[in-house]
Amino acid sequence: MKNLYGDLPEKDSLLSSGIPSVEDLDRVLPPPEARRKGPVAVLECFQKIPCDPCAQACKLGAIKEFSDVNDLPVIDWTKCTGCGQCVAACPGLAIFVVDETYSPEECLIAMPHEFVPLPERDQVVLLYDRAGRHVGEGIVHRVIRGRDKLATPVVWVRAPKALAYVARALGLPESQGRSGN
Amino acid sequence: MKRSVEERNWLEQRNVIVCRCEDVTLEEIRRAIAQGATTLDELKRLLRVGMGPCQGRTCRELLARELAEHLGKPVAEIMPPTFRPPAKPVKLGLLSRMVENAPRGDEGSSLEGGESR
Amino acid sequence: MEYELVVVGGGPAGLSGALKAAQNGVRVAIVDRQEELGGQLVKQTHKFFGWSRRGAGIRGIEIGRRLRNAVLAQPHITVFTGTEALGYYPDNSLLIEGPSGVSRITGKTFLFATGAQERMILFPGNDLPGVYGAGAVQTLMNVYGVRPGRSVLMVGSGNIGLIVSYQLRQAGVAVRAIVEALPQIGGYAVHASKVRRLGIPILTRHSIKEAHGKECVEGATIWELDDKFRGIPGTEKDLDVDVICLATGLTPLGDLLWQAGVSMTYVPELGGFVPIYDENMETERPGIFVAGDAAGIEEASTAMLCGEIAGLAVAAKLGKIPRHRFEEERNVLARELAALRSGPLSSKVRTGYERIRALVQGRRGS
Repeated sequence: MKNLYGDLPEKDSLLSSGIPSVEDLDRVLPPPEARRKGPVAVLECFQKIPCDPCAQACKLGAIKEFSDVNDLPVIDWTKCTGCGQCVAACPGLAIFVVDETYSPEECLIAMPHEFVPLPERDQVVLLYDRAGRHVGEGIVHRVIRGRDKLATPVVWVRAPKALAYVARALGLPESQGRSGN
Repeated sequence: MKRSVEERNWLEQRNVIVCRCEDVTLEEIRRAIAQGATTLDELKRLLRVGMGPCQGRTCRELLARELAEHLGKPVAEIMPPTFRPPAKPVKLGLLSRMVENAPRGDEGSSLEGGESR
Repeated sequence: MEYELVVVGGGPAGLSGALKAAQNGVRVAIVDRQEELGGQLVKQTHKFFGWSRRGAGIRGIEIGRRLRNAVLAQPHITVFTGTEALGYYPDNSLLIEGPSGVSRITGKTFLFATGAQERMILFPGNDLPGVYGAGAVQTLMNVYGVRPGRSVLMVGSGNIGLIVSYQLRQAGVAVRAIVEALPQIGGYAVHASKVRRLGIPILTRHSIKEAHGKECVEGATIWELDDKFRGIPGTEKDLDVDVICLATGLTPLGDLLWQAGVSMTYVPELGGFVPIYDENMETERPGIFVAGDAAGIEEASTAMLCGEIAGLAVAAKLGKIPRHRFEEERNVLARELAALRSGPLSSKVRTGYERIRALVQGRRGS
């Protein structure tokens, strides 16, 4: 791995390829004390668009109220408990929760996942990075289906610690959802 | 997307269809323009472009760009063809029934009377 | 039948306008070609952006369902679905064709919320079966539950191209690539990242060169473009696809507005010819209002606000609400609209609307 995020370009890649750069991701990386504390939200939102549901979804006030609907979200790391409400709420599917304290070898990653069939608890899933490259396997820890069928399910996956800031998508082995690409 | 002269020549040679409803190729359109067509209405009358089921919704912009290119004008100056009712093809039977059912003195309830620009 | 307001188009703009007008006591008729109200919302399975209090985070289909239910519950609104508007006449009547044949309805005022049409591009093989507009692919999948094919080339990386690529993958269809002629992705970065991490390459400065196939699409060749958008020979790549999906932009659908003799102007930032209209969405033909993509290509969230402004303005024009109340409420909506359009990605549409405003002010001055 070239850097914390796997093998991503250093900069200027987001708008030409859809892959956020190291420079983009460094700006939203939680500080070391937050990462040591437990689960924490990572808001991979880099572009000012009119959108505010994350701030509304956060019941702890960790994501600050927007003064302008086009603001980028600002998070107060001391208030975030990594509950994952914002993961399901983000219309851009750009928020993840990472817990690097899960065990000495493993981390937990919460990812929005709008594909059927949903994986089940303890199932082995394939993990992909932000460029869609297969980077390893994980084990499903929890599946939060949400209120109704229109909600965005959130899948919590146990993964090798080195993938905490690398893996950002999952797929079932040889499933319909992943076939093709 | 704006295409270069070379590319448009290549498209012409490859028999690319511009008006799908009426099967009119780029080559036919360019020939009509070379013969003096300068407006979308003229192209419509010469080639039936834009007179099929979609009523030009697919090809109108492509035709306007082709005209603009040949006339050396911005596409903003290529006015659309005249719009008249009906906005889509209708069965003649439906129209005749409408006229039959119209109250006396209202035979004008045909398609006539649509205002042109 | 005479109505106080005839709304043509039952999408987000038209339904919002009809509701606002009816809530203020206007007798409204809505004419829509489809069997079900909602316009494009009926196939938009993605979550909307914007304000939470105005539906952000809710999927388009659900927003459509709520609008539809509100309209159907509103006693002042008569709905003509499966009904196409064929012509507008200077006696304020509309020729419509519906389940019971052809007839006319008249209106004291009109709101044209007729939406947009898709832009097509030229390439050899563009008439082969298997070449679809993105809207058709979305309808097949999300309305009828039919996969358009097994493997797709998406042309265009605006929000529609990105969203439809994602939905194709949700349906289990492979997307080989998204090609974009410009050096930058056209849609929101979050949509782009969402499809990129599914393994779909987004190739900027690329376009389709040609489609292959005898009876239908059996493959496509893409190539890289130079700074003048010319294909670079030698950069061709063949893709194994049976569907080519065009998401190359939209242009306002103004056929009826032209018929009505509304002044139109060409504004490239808004997608082509658009009507000239004032801050109340009223055109230069008094009593004829516009909203949504027909008034300039934008998003459903802004279309709904514009529709509300138009509906409110109709109510005021017909004397249903006092002037000061109208202005107060209109200004609130106008502020929300301006806020939605204030971001860096809206600079293009802002330029477009400034052009229209300048035209209107110029004419008022003269």
